[in-house]
Amino acid sequence: MSNRPIDDLVRNAFVDGQLDPVQRQEVQAYLQAHPEQARELAAWQRDAQRLRAMAGQDSLPPNPALDPAAVRARLRTRSRRRLAMAASLAMAVAIGGVTGWSARDMAAANRVPPMQDAMQAYRMFAAADAPRPDLRADAGDLQAWLDGYFARAHRLPDLSASGFKPVAGRLLATDQGPAALVIYDNAGQRATFYIRPPGPGNQFLPQGSRRDGDLLARYWSGQGYNYALVTSGNDASGASAPVPDVVPS
Amino acid sequence: MIRPVRMPIHDPVSIDDARPADELSDAVLRQMLPRLRRFALRLTRDPAQADDLVQSTLERALTRWPGRRPQGDVRAWLFTILYRQFLDAQRRTRRYARLLDWFAGADAAAPSVEREAIARSSLDVFERLPEAQRTLLWLVCVEGLSYKAVADLFDVPLGTVMSRLSRARSALRDLHEGQAGEVHLRILK
Repeated sequence: MSNRPIDDLVRNAFVDGQLDPVQRQEVQAYLQAHPEQARELAAWQRDAQRLRAMAGQDSLPPNPALDPAAVRARLRTRSRRRLAMAASLAMAVAIGGVTGWSARDMAAANRVPPMQDAMQAYRMFAAADAPRPDLRADAGDLQAWLDGYFARAHRLPDLSASGFKPVAGRLLATDQGPAALVIYDNAGQRATFYIRPPGPGNQFLPQGSRRDGDLLARYWSGQGYNYALVTSGNDASGASAPVPDVVPS
Repeated sequence: MIRPVRMPIHDPVSIDDARPADELSDAVLRQMLPRLRRFALRLTRDPAQADDLVQSTLERALTRWPGRRPQGDVRAWLFTILYRQFLDAQRRTRRYARLLDWFAGADAAAPSVEREAIARSSLDVFERLPEAQRTLLWLVCVEGLSYKAVADLFDVPLGTVMSRLSRARSALRDLHEGQAGEVHLRILK
């Protein structure tokens, strides 16, 4: 036994006094047979004692900031502050979100397709059983009636090439002021000319057209007003023919 | 029919056994404080830095306790936190030094020269050992941490700790025994 070399664990445990009595005796027997190793372990023990003696001399002045109660209090303050910061951050995000959402709603409101009111007016007043118009063509001059409300506006478009003749006029109201609808008729088929002030923010329309259900609207701007010519989309002659005449270059 | 209400039986002994350390009490921490500060001073060699290190250690220990309480020795756990914080701080300092160096084009080796001077002038040869060896010897010889705890602290296998410990002890012995010769040399100069 005493001839078997001892490993690092045993040597260190011997120096640190962590061997049980039996192991300890075995190591001591081994060391008696190996004086060089015995000297080394004795030196290790001496060094460890020196180290402990040196550690005993270390002393630091008391530091109240390091007291556990003080550290706990600081941690609590810090977490409260963090919580407050998180709350204000959440608040900012919420405010931003609500503002953004309402801005989105407002933007959506502005995105109403152009001349939607002209389409609605066609549906209401161009039908065969429409309510009585304000003025019938056989009872007065539609152009003069229109000029009374819309100074310097475009002339009524001449759709006679397609067989449409103006038959009645009706005054309407919009957010921006009066609008008017002139109904054309071609043997029971209806087309309408719609004139209105520019929309919110003085929006003039680029020339264009769009379809909504069975209706087709062509629209443009000029002379301070917006105009639309609405026809039933199924009606090929009414949809295509009149417009080249009316759209100003 | 009236049934007897069964009352929960409180056995004070078993409750104490079930929850040996439910909270990290101020008393335990206060008791540990001098040792932690001493260890921190060994590592940083600067009282103010040492106390900063101890403070961040306590903060981390208190915030971590609920989720990551140690399985075994609270003391070893605290030493481990302190040592890891020290290493982190050192790493940051080195990074910062490199950054300064990069900007200023200065000599990055300057701190180590200073450190060497401190070590040379130090009365105790212990200071001449590399940091890892000093820490290892300190934890084993002075603080009496178990080999297992030290292995966990350095995050190495137990066998590695043992061989490193032998090496550190041999190195310290060589320094102690070489000191005599060096004194002679100094006198001769």
